[in-house]
Amino acid sequence: MRALLLAVALLCAAPALAQNTVPFTARDQTSAEELELQRTLQGGTIHGRISIPDDKAANLVQPEGRAWRDFHNRTLYTVGAVAVCGVLGLLWLFYMIKGRIRIAAGPAGRTMTRFNLLERANHWMVASSFIVLMLSGLNLTFGRWLILPTLGPETFTMLTMWGKVAHNFLSFPFALGLVLMFLLWVRDNIPNALDLEWLKAGGGFIGSRHPQAARFNAGQKGVFWITVLGGGAVATTGYVLVFPFFITDIAGQQWAHMIHGVLAMLMIAAILAHIYIGSVGMEGAIDAMSTGQVDYNWAREHHSLWVDEELAKARTAIDPGAKTAGAD
Amino acid sequence: MARMKFLCDADRCIECNACVTACKNEHEVPWGINRRRVVTLNDGKPGERSISMACMHCTDAPCAAVCPVNCFYTTADAIVLHDKDLCIGCGYCFYACPFGAPQYPRVGNFGGRGKMDKCTYCAGGPQADNTAAEYIQYGANRIAEGKLPLCAEMCSTKALLAGDGEIIASIYRERVSKRGYGGGAWGWRTAYREGVQA
Amino acid sequence: MLIKRSDGKVARQRLASAYQGLSGGGLDRRGFLRQAGLSGAGLAALGALPALTARRAEAGPTNFAQPITRRKNMCTHCSVGCTVIAEVQNGVWVGQEPAWESPINRGTHCAKGASVREIVHGDRRLKYPMKLVGGEWQRISWATAVDEIGAKMAAIRASSGPDSVFLLGSAKFTNEAAYLFRKFAAYWGTNNVDHQARICHSTTVAGVANTWGYGAQTNSYNDIRNAKTMIIMGGNPAEAHPVSMQHVLTGKEVNRANLIVIDPRFTRTAAHATEYVRLRPGTDIPIMWGMLWHIFRNGWEDKDFIAQRVHGMEDVRKEVEKWDPAEVERVTGVPGAQMERISKIFATEKPSTLIWCMGVTQHTVGTANVRALCTLLLATGNVGSAGTGANIFRGHTNVQGATDLGLDVTTLPAYYGLDENAWRHWCRVWETDYAWMQGRFGSKALMELPGIPSTRWFDATTMPGMKDKPATGEAYVQQPDNYKGMVVFGHGGNTVTRMPEMLKGLEKLELLVVADPHPTTFSQISNRRDGTYLLPICTSFEMDGTRTASNRSLQWGDKIVEPIFESKSDYEAIYLLAQKLGFADRMFKNIKVENNQPLAEDLLREINRGSWSIGYTGQSPERLKLHMANQDQFDIVTLRGKPGTPVAGEFYGLPWPCWGTPEQKHPGTHQLYNTNLHVKDGGGTFRARFGVEREGKTLLAEGSWSKGSEIQDGYPEFTVAVLKRLGWLEDLTEAERASIEYHFGPNIDRASWANDLSGGIQRVAMAHGCVPYGNAKARANAWNLPDPVPVHREPIYTQRPDLIAKYPTLPDRRGFRMPHLGVSVQNRSPEVVKDFPIILSSGRLVEYEGGGEETRSNKWLAELQQDMFVEINPADAASRGIRDGGWVWVMGPESQSKAKMKALVTERVAAGVAWMPFHFGGWFQGEDRRKFYPPGTDPVVLGESVNTLTTYGYDPVTFMQETKCTLCQIRAA
Repeated sequence: MRALLLAVALLCAAPALAQNTVPFTARDQTSAEELELQRTLQGGTIHGRISIPDDKAANLVQPEGRAWRDFHNRTLYTVGAVAVCGVLGLLWLFYMIKGRIRIAAGPAGRTMTRFNLLERANHWMVASSFIVLMLSGLNLTFGRWLILPTLGPETFTMLTMWGKVAHNFLSFPFALGLVLMFLLWVRDNIPNALDLEWLKAGGGFIGSRHPQAARFNAGQKGVFWITVLGGGAVATTGYVLVFPFFITDIAGQQWAHMIHGVLAMLMIAAILAHIYIGSVGMEGAIDAMSTGQVDYNWAREHHSLWVDEELAKARTAIDPGAKTAGAD
Repeated sequence: MARMKFLCDADRCIECNACVTACKNEHEVPWGINRRRVVTLNDGKPGERSISMACMHCTDAPCAAVCPVNCFYTTADAIVLHDKDLCIGCGYCFYACPFGAPQYPRVGNFGGRGKMDKCTYCAGGPQADNTAAEYIQYGANRIAEGKLPLCAEMCSTKALLAGDGEIIASIYRERVSKRGYGGGAWGWRTAYREGVQA
Repeated sequence: MLIKRSDGKVARQRLASAYQGLSGGGLDRRGFLRQAGLSGAGLAALGALPALTARRAEAGPTNFAQPITRRKNMCTHCSVGCTVIAEVQNGVWVGQEPAWESPINRGTHCAKGASVREIVHGDRRLKYPMKLVGGEWQRISWATAVDEIGAKMAAIRASSGPDSVFLLGSAKFTNEAAYLFRKFAAYWGTNNVDHQARICHSTTVAGVANTWGYGAQTNSYNDIRNAKTMIIMGGNPAEAHPVSMQHVLTGKEVNRANLIVIDPRFTRTAAHATEYVRLRPGTDIPIMWGMLWHIFRNGWEDKDFIAQRVHGMEDVRKEVEKWDPAEVERVTGVPGAQMERISKIFATEKPSTLIWCMGVTQHTVGTANVRALCTLLLATGNVGSAGTGANIFRGHTNVQGATDLGLDVTTLPAYYGLDENAWRHWCRVWETDYAWMQGRFGSKALMELPGIPSTRWFDATTMPGMKDKPATGEAYVQQPDNYKGMVVFGHGGNTVTRMPEMLKGLEKLELLVVADPHPTTFSQISNRRDGTYLLPICTSFEMDGTRTASNRSLQWGDKIVEPIFESKSDYEAIYLLAQKLGFADRMFKNIKVENNQPLAEDLLREINRGSWSIGYTGQSPERLKLHMANQDQFDIVTLRGKPGTPVAGEFYGLPWPCWGTPEQKHPGTHQLYNTNLHVKDGGGTFRARFGVEREGKTLLAEGSWSKGSEIQDGYPEFTVAVLKRLGWLEDLTEAERASIEYHFGPNIDRASWANDLSGGIQRVAMAHGCVPYGNAKARANAWNLPDPVPVHREPIYTQRPDLIAKYPTLPDRRGFRMPHLGVSVQNRSPEVVKDFPIILSSGRLVEYEGGGEETRSNKWLAELQQDMFVEINPADAASRGIRDGGWVWVMGPESQSKAKMKALVTERVAAGVAWMPFHFGGWFQGEDRRKFYPPGTDPVVLGESVNTLTTYGYDPVTFMQETKCTLCQIRAA
């Protein structure tokens, strides 16, 4: 109130208007094209005022659209094509050279529980939604060139439309699964010194020696973190796009899309490798996520420390009250 | 063949919004869809300019380039149109468009923004000219009747020009030479990769 | 940033949902049609299915298989007079096409004109007569409505006299309806009849007419193309008259003309100016005198013009002496260098024209402002030729015509005034007995006494009349009783200042009739529970008739479609009321009525028969229709019909004065007072209206006459006596002579150019090259006005109380049957300004018009302006913690008024000044009153009215309200 009175006093005291009267200066006659070019070079939006309550409509020219188009039509195509085709090519090469990785000692016939039902169910929820997300996403990016000519516009639109719907809705199980996955497995995925050893040994893929590993080896930890962090980022940016203008403006959405696209392509590449090694690439691996029971020898070869740990746990589990032999 | 363009002479535009309501009237465009709009730069300051903006029907249109379902097409008059039956409402054209032209019937409804809508240069859509089906989806087809877009025809100060690019550029150049200066044509460099030099 | 965007969404969703309640908002066309079908069923359930709903479902794409009729009418919004071309199919208005052939708009429109088709779709129109019963709206029939209204009017007449019913007409009437409504008031027996001109350009009409004879724009929109310098003062044509800017900006380009905008607000027009002058609101006279100070000092004035054609300029010089640059800057805030620059440009780069609007007129010194502007034109010789003149942009479609046809408390049609001669003249035209007419009034005195204007009707309701006149000096109304009933045809309820006081008046009325396409603010703003009737009236698109554009051109509009729903035309509604009140036979004696529909052509012919004084006599329906059919044959700069066409040589729309009878084929007058043309070719002189001599000096022109005049000097107006003296009496034909003798008998000498029904006197004068109204000087000194030479007077609520002592407003006085306070209110200013430090001004938005009921109901327009707002300077906003787009409370200094709206923080206004649009209504002091509208008629957009905050203050000559300059306080809500 005091400030108000002060303002009042000031207004009354001085012929305030005289100070506010700005003589009209010559108008800026810089050419619109010039300004537009400058802004384009600077990458700035030309923003004004508009009476409708829609701030995005007040953007007169949005040169970033060009940059986004370049990203979409060059960078993303390139990254996507290189990543997806590259990985598929490498895997093919790998398969040609090494063939299927067998259990060196042959199946033992005895199994041990690697993943419980919750873990497996969650994995498949994430995996199945990921596959649909991947296919519908790849279709959005490449379908126009690869599928449209075959299917024709109407069928392709229907496919893409359903793909888009699936892409939007399956993001929820995917994101939920990621959260669960993180909670279930983060404990076993914290990197440690052993991972360096494992990596030095090339994960056993290059030589024939199997490096030691606990429940998850460095490669699996990599997949975990790629999935959780990459998937998280892809999901977050995806939600920015699914709720247009609720979270950010047009520039933010363009960035969100770029991050979403590139990360998704890289993730696709990584996950393709994961799928390979978890299925055709390695004997015994698929069991971990199908029945949850893995062959003892497979486990010995790939996760020796985990086997030891599990056995130790099992021993205590047999007779929790009993003292270990020779303890006295 | 003519190369249709829009040119808004910012020295004449007074933000009267006739172009906006003419468009609404001609095509019965629903609330919330703004095929055309007027933006004022430097509002309230010397140098204030208003510019009417809609789809500029770009050369090498970004919307068409990024559309995942390839629903855009360009007419012989270089008007950029799209087929709503093919559109999936993904929003890519809005990211790519330098002019904010694409509009969506639903703003934030999850997953479905509806079919994209934009200025058709009063040229309708892919259906047969001036049929009810065309009108419902795209509005009137004045080009087929030999008329020009109503926004430009009704512009109160004749600031908004529509028609063959060469002709409207020469009208603009004549004005510039008469008045001795010209502010340039907003959007031309971005849309057509050229300015109007007077 | 995030907050702002979500704000936008909230607003949009709120509106969209409000909108979807009744109409097809937010739907695609398919949905729209579906809903149209549904609403049709809903109405059918109510009893009567109006034909429209069935037809409307067919509207949409042009069906080329069916014939399309193109009909022309005029845009019903501003006064530019844009032709609207409607495409009609099966009785449905299906499309709107550019009217390329119109020389006025040349195909173009503004936002309002481009969306007028929606008006005749009319989702939100008033659909049938309604009556308020115990606070609830009830549907009634037209017959019941007319019966009950008529009975109540008669009851008021019996108990309080005819003057206790206020008849408020409209600037949106056609000429014929305006004339009919004025005639209705006469037959009812009151001069309490008014319309919107009171609140827009009444001061212009008074000021201009008192200067050189006629209260109208001297030139035209098109003629501005000829100007080398234009000053737009207190006007924002870019929003108020957008199509006029086509001519302004083309002129500016082609002539490289100077465009100087003088306004407190940096408007959309100012953005196109070559020079913008920001003044403190309410200091127009100091600006004018400041300019003349430089002009006289440097000898830039037109000395010949002043000597030949101006009376009293020396008195102006004395006043101007006081306004040296220092004093001008002290009072207005405009620096001396800028004043000198614009003065030099205006006086030396000619032809120069002055364009003004309500920023000049809506002040307590409105008439004086106008007079000062006229004086500047006279001093620089900028009247009466191409590219010059007072280009007054009027507001509504037909505010010029409605003014001309006497919808005014001070005059009968065509400015005849109210004296006995005037009444006798119109009784002759109407073939009604003068004695009978006098009997309709309370008394002969009341018959000749100006009525109470629209700005004060509520005061006249709450103050006692002479019947209960208080013994002490308290305020009273100088007529038998106060207002008991009000009949409003086409006038918003939010357009007059002091709304909190207006509410009290509204609640005290025994009868309120609102006859309008929309229910208007009147229907919902008060807490009335009974005695309110709503009559659905169609728009001018649904009827035939003429409208007079600001440039005095008359344009004939064809009925585009039949009135929608149960609405009726003004003609029919007035006829039904007259019939109920028992004077229809006399009133419509010479007018053909078919099916209760008075014929527009006959109405215009009657106007032609009587309106000699302003030359509304040559514009027969046939001639006007010919102009409409040949619109493309007129030149866009000269407005003259091209040679070899049916309209060769005539000016478009026969701008008045169009002298003589239609058969005399006068071409109309494009530029008033233009001595370079023969009178028969549209030439003229200043009007001899104020006598021939004053204080020993002649008032007649000296050494100036219109081209071809046989009298090569000044001369008085023509009467039979003058004809006799000139020896021209014999030039009258037998028939003319017989007519004059029949009407005037022994008083034949008193027959004049203005009351000779034969037109003979005008014909003879013109045959000798003389202008019928004489050839006089314009008056720089108008001795009959409160300030014969305008003097600066501070606004009543002024931000500069330090200036009151030197520039006080007028003392308290009486006028128009009412008390009129001046100084006693102004003396509050020093106290008021402490709590209300911000100047509040108001104006127009391009999307809306007037009170805005019609335009805010048009979804295509409503979408563009969804919220009432106040413009506030960034400095004022920052010191109050107000952010752009945030809600604020604005408080006014009277009646504890307050209003809630959004803030628009902008440098358009200076620090210490706020500005609001005046089109909003439906909210009152923070309360959303949507539910009080009759169901289905609420406008899409509602908001606070600026007039909730505006304050006392009236021009002494016309009772124009002060809307441009009061005080307020603003705080964040």
